[in-house]
Formats: sequence, structure tokens, C-alpha cells
Amino acid sequence: MEYVRTKDTPTRKPPLNESSLLGWLKINLFDTLFSSVLTILVLIAIFFAVKSLWIWGISDGVWIAETRRECFKINIDGACWAGVIAWLDNIFYGRYPREELWRINLGGLLLILWMLPLWLPRVRGKIFVGLSVVALYPFLAGYLFSGGEKGIFMQVMITAAIVGLAVNVANAVTGYFNRGSLSSFILRKIGKSDAPEKQQRNILLAILLIAFVAVFVWQMGWVVENVTWTKWGGLFLTFVIAGIGIASALPGGIILALGRRSKLPVVSVLSTAFIELFRSVPLITVLFMATTMFPLFVPEGFVLNKLVQVIIAVCLFNACYIAEIVRAGLQAIPKGQYEGAHTIGLGYWGAMGLIIMPQALKHMIPNIVGSFIGLLKDTTLVSIIGLFDILNILRAISKDTPWIGLHKEPLVFGAILFFIICFAMSKYSRHLEAKLATGHKN
Amino acid sequence: MKFTTLLTSAAAIAALVLAGATSASAESTLEIVKKRGHVRCQVGPASPGFYFLDSKGDWQGLDVTVCQAVAAAIFGDPTKLEIQSVSSQARFTSLANGDSDLLSRTATWTMSRDTQLGIDFLTPNFYDGQGFTVRKESGITSALELKGAKVCVTSGTTTESNLADFSRTHDLNISAVTFEDFNVRDETYLQGGCDAVTADKSALAGNLAAFPVPGDHLILPDTLSKEPLAPAVRHGDNQWADIVRWSEFAMVNAEELGITSANVDDMRANSKNPSIRRVLGVEGNIHEGIGLDKDWAYNIIKLVGNYGEVYEKYIGDGENAIGIPRAGSANALWTKGGLMYSPPMR
Repeated sequence: MEYVRTKDTPTRKPPLNESSLLGWLKINLFDTLFSSVLTILVLIAIFFAVKSLWIWGISDGVWIAETRRECFKINIDGACWAGVIAWLDNIFYGRYPREELWRINLGGLLLILWMLPLWLPRVRGKIFVGLSVVALYPFLAGYLFSGGEKGIFMQVMITAAIVGLAVNVANAVTGYFNRGSLSSFILRKIGKSDAPEKQQRNILLAILLIAFVAVFVWQMGWVVENVTWTKWGGLFLTFVIAGIGIASALPGGIILALGRRSKLPVVSVLSTAFIELFRSVPLITVLFMATTMFPLFVPEGFVLNKLVQVIIAVCLFNACYIAEIVRAGLQAIPKGQYEGAHTIGLGYWGAMGLIIMPQALKHMIPNIVGSFIGLLKDTTLVSIIGLFDILNILRAISKDTPWIGLHKEPLVFGAILFFIICFAMSKYSRHLEAKLATGHKN
Repeated sequence: MKFTTLLTSAAAIAALVLAGATSASAESTLEIVKKRGHVRCQVGPASPGFYFLDSKGDWQGLDVTVCQAVAAAIFGDPTKLEIQSVSSQARFTSLANGDSDLLSRTATWTMSRDTQLGIDFLTPNFYDGQGFTVRKESGITSALELKGAKVCVTSGTTTESNLADFSRTHDLNISAVTFEDFNVRDETYLQGGCDAVTADKSALAGNLAAFPVPGDHLILPDTLSKEPLAPAVRHGDNQWADIVRWSEFAMVNAEELGITSANVDDMRANSKNPSIRRVLGVEGNIHEGIGLDKDWAYNIIKLVGNYGEVYEKYIGDGENAIGIPRAGSANALWTKGGLMYSPPMR
């Protein structure tokens, strides 16, 4: 037994070139003469690029001025950020009436409030959160943003949305503070946790109904001024188009992908034709068709507004791209998964919904998010057909008389804004991947 | 294009079904506009001085005042307007297919456009002409000295073809460097990429004012082309064309008669000049044929201003104007040697 070691050998420090900063630099940047030279050259290039940007934008930049001419007087070589600052309201909200801006802000806040439970731990019913935000939020936000008279259908949907939001928030609060789901919490509070299931359900339904009626009565007196879509613009419009595009492209894409792989020839041929046709035409062509040709074919006086036409075009276009991504995901699922699903007695929808689709979508998250980032950036194409999205607003600054010719600074600002948004999306997708990567770690 | 035709036919059929019983009626534009409650007025993607967004998100400019005048004449409220900003590729289609009621966007009135596109141009509200900007240090004083020069120009407009014509006529062998965006064009010129810039003189003056050192540059006296910039309406509705045309004339006439937005109330109450009294609706019945209220011209002058006022505000010497002097140009009143002339309103 004397050969068996009873104590661990003392751990030694890793070799210096593995652990220290200098070692890391040596290995990664100055390994050979060639890479040392390259490193130095690149560092010099970066230094000069950053330096000239810094001088132009920060140290020589002019932040406070009334006109571009004044900027020139203060510093003729620097960036004139004063123009961008004067236009900030336009950049974020477009031509939306200034005294109504709270509606856009409120709409954004409500969306965050609604989605927040998705990221909170211990909250139950996250699928309901996701579904309700896609199905109900658009009605509430749509009215908040456009205003005017409400039809009876809109009134019902707005009420449903407000109730849905309230239920979500209350459910998130009880869940987060470890009080279980909202329904069990209510039942416990009124001392009915032990009542028969049927009675419990009736009580909950009654509460829901009372809430619905109360909100309905309240919202009848709630009217906000009409703001036509032509006044929408800036980052707000970009978010509206991209948001609706993203929310509808995924379900649309899943349906098209399933259709394309369907065994029913009619469904499969139609889906394939639809996908291939939309994918083989540039988005700008689809947009032009939707806005300039469409009115020629409809009777005079019938007008589908341009924003709706654009949104429909964007949704259809992106659904086709998502469809191909989803199809790729479906094809990557081994046949055994399908067969396994069938052996435990699941039908087509059961197998798809519970076994196949969750795996396929999980694998395809990077592609799907990539496509969404592309969609967000593609929305700037609507500036060509005259909608004042963020790009068009940024370009309009150079034509406002006090700021004539000011075009570089707004575009730089736009680039920074887009980078922040897209980078956040990409980060979130990485986070989602990590969170969902269960049992597939290699 | 087979697919796109298929798509639009399908869309058209769907729309027909949706539209249901609302058949294409023969309503006049004025009736449609009155029923809708506002005028749809088309401008372009922004052009300094003529139509541009200000930092409050409002449309401003000389061409926008034509839209405002029409809204004021019909509704007594110049804000009953929906300004549509349409790209130059789609501008005439958008007017012809009924998306816009009126186009007012520095469009040059040419014979082919007037006769082939289903639209009618009205009275020019600005007479422009193409010119050149050069660097003073180049010593060039006439466009004929631009032999072999590189000239920056924005693409897709009459400007580009005028330049080619000019070069051919005078055997100058000018090479054109084209740009989509005037900012990039000017940037290239300022960095020495071109010897000269060509555009309508109004635009040249506006952009020159925004150069870091305007004094280093010079607009040559030569004028390459005639550019009568006029609003346009759909062909075939003469009453609507009358309304727009006479709204423009009312502004010119008011300037000629000395009526301004400041003194119009006083004039209406006290003036003894029969011409002024007729324009302001105090006597006579000039409003009857046009289908508007007695106050239509009064509203235009009171709420929008006369032609001279709006010119100074946006184009001339106003605080936020692009600085093109009016005296001695074609845009002066006919009594001062210009072309701004309104038929009598009686």
C-alpha cells in the first residue's frame, strides 16, 4: 500500500505565460515577429481613427448653438451636435403632436410592464403573458397612438387588453413574492382554497367579469385626440413597423414552414410558391408595389392607408424568410424524434407543438434573431417611399433652414442608435440561447 | 413582373370585395375634400426654403404656403392639411391615382409632363433656372470657361440632362459626377472632387449659404435653363384647378394691391378701392363661380399672407430664409420688372 498517495500534491501556479497579462499579450499579440508587426500597425491605425473621431466629435464638437452658421463660428472643423439636439423630439417621435407625446411614452411603458413578468423568476403562466401581449397589446397601443372615435369592437378589445394587463401584473406580483399564482392567491384570501374546483372556477370567472364590466364602463369615457398616421415618424415609427413585423413574422413563418413540409399537395405547393415568390423579389419592390400600384387597382375613394400597406408588405416578406429558417430547424431534428412522438400517442399537432417545434426553434434562435435584426434595419427602406421613419427624419435635418447641409452628424447619431438597439437584441439572443441550452451542452 | 401583376390583381380583387358597394362615383375633388375635412397636398422629401420640416415637426416653405392657401380658401383654416412627402419617382403617379389632391413641390412645368401624365400644371409660384457654383480661386467667371471640367450634379432630374445638353451645345466636354443626395454632392465639391456644382440657382444659393466659408465660392451669372416651378393638379377637374390657380393669384394680387396679413382687417373695414373690396369679398360676387365662401381670399391673405410676405419669410431676407434676393429677378412683381402677374379679380 505504500504506493498509494494519501495527500494531494500541492498545486503549482500555472506557467507565467499562461496567467499573467504579459504572458497573454505575448501569446496572443506578439507571438512571432510578423504578428508583432501586425499588432503594432493595427494599433497605430486604431489610434489615428479614434483620435480624429474624438477631435471631430468630442473635443471640437459644438453642443450649444442656434444655427449651423453659429456652429461654424464657434468651431469650423468640429461636429455640430446642436442640430441633432434641437431635433431630438423629431428623431424619436417624428411629427407627432408635442403635447400628445405622453401617449407614445405610456404605450412603451405599458409594453415593458406587460413583458416584464417574462424575465422575472417564480412567475407562473409565462405562456399566457406571451400570448396576451401579442393578441391584446396591439389594440391598446393602437388606440393610444392613433386615438379618435372607438367602434364597439375596439372598445371590447381595449377593455380586454386593460384587464389582461392588470391580470398579468397582479399575477407577476403574487408570483414574484412567493404567493403562488394569482388565482390561488385570491382563493386563499377569500378563504375558498378548499372549495370544490367548480365553485372556485365560478368565483374567479365572476371576479373577471366584474373587472371587465368596470373597465368597460370606464373606458367609454376615455377618449384621446385623433393623430393620423402621417404624423407618426422617427424611431417610434421604426419600432411600430419592426415590432408588428417581428410579432407576426414568427407565427406566420411557422405556419408557412409547416405548410411547405405538409403532405397535403395543395397546402405544400401554395406555401412553397408563396415563400419562393416573396423571397425572389427585393423588399423595396414589394414596398413600391404595395404603395404606388395598389391604389390604381381599387375604386376611387377606397384608401387603405400607406402605413398599413407597408406593414402588411413587411410582415409577408419577413414571414417567408422566417419560414425558411424554421424549415431548416425542422429538418435538423432527427427522424427518431418524430417517431418517438408518435409512439407515445401524439398526433401531428401534439408532436409538433410539444416535441419538434420547441427543439427546432431553440436551435434556430441565432438565425431568427439575426433575421429580426435585419428586419429592423430593413425598415429604413420605407424612407424611400416617403414615410418619415428615423432615417428620413435624420436626413431631413440637413434641409431645415437653420441647419442646412447638416447631414453627417445626424447619420452618425443614427448609426450609434441602431448599434445600441441591434447589439441589445443580439445580446438578448445569446442570453436566451444560454438559458434554453438544456442537455445540449457538448 | 408576372408575379407582381398577379399580386396586384389579387389585391385589387380583394379590395373590390372589401369596398363592396362603394362604386367609383363622379364626385368632384372639392366635394371629396370637403367631405374628408382636409386637403391632401403632396410635397417632396424636403428641399430648403420650399418644403422642409422644422425642429417642431411642422412643414414649412414657399410651396407649402400654396397648400395652406388652398386649405384656407376652402375651410378658412390653413392647418386643415395633410402634407404628404412623396419621392420624386412616385410624385406624378401619386397625384394621378388620387392619393394627393394637389402637388406643390418645385416641379418644373414642361410640355411633356403637362400633356402626357394626366396632370395639369397651374401658375408658377417660382421661376428658377439652372446655374453653376465655382470656387472663386479658380478664376472662372463664365460657364463657357468650364471646358473639360468635372461638375457635380444630383441624378434623376432635369438638371442632369440640361447639363449634358449645355455641354454638347457649347462643345465643352464636361464630365458629370452624379449623386443621389445634394449633401454628398456638396461635400464632394468642397473637398475638391469637382470643379463646379450645378443645380437650380435657388438651391445653389441656399446651399452656398451653408458652406463653411460662403465667400470662397461664386454662383456664375449664366442660366442654363428655364425652370418654371408650378403646382399641379389632376387633369380633368377644372373647378379644382380654378380653386388652386386663383388661390395663388389671390396672393399675388394682394401683394400688388398692398394688402398684407397685418392690414387685411383694416382694409376690409375701411378701404374705398373697389379692387380691394372685390378681392376681400366686401362687394361684388367673384366667389360665386369658384364654389367657395365670400371670405375665401380674405382668409388666404389673413392666415397665410400675400406672395411677397411668404417669399421674404422663406426665400428672401427673412431670419430663417435661404437668402435669394427678389429684386430684379423673375420672381418680382410685374410692376417691378418680374413675371409675377395676376389677372384682375373682378
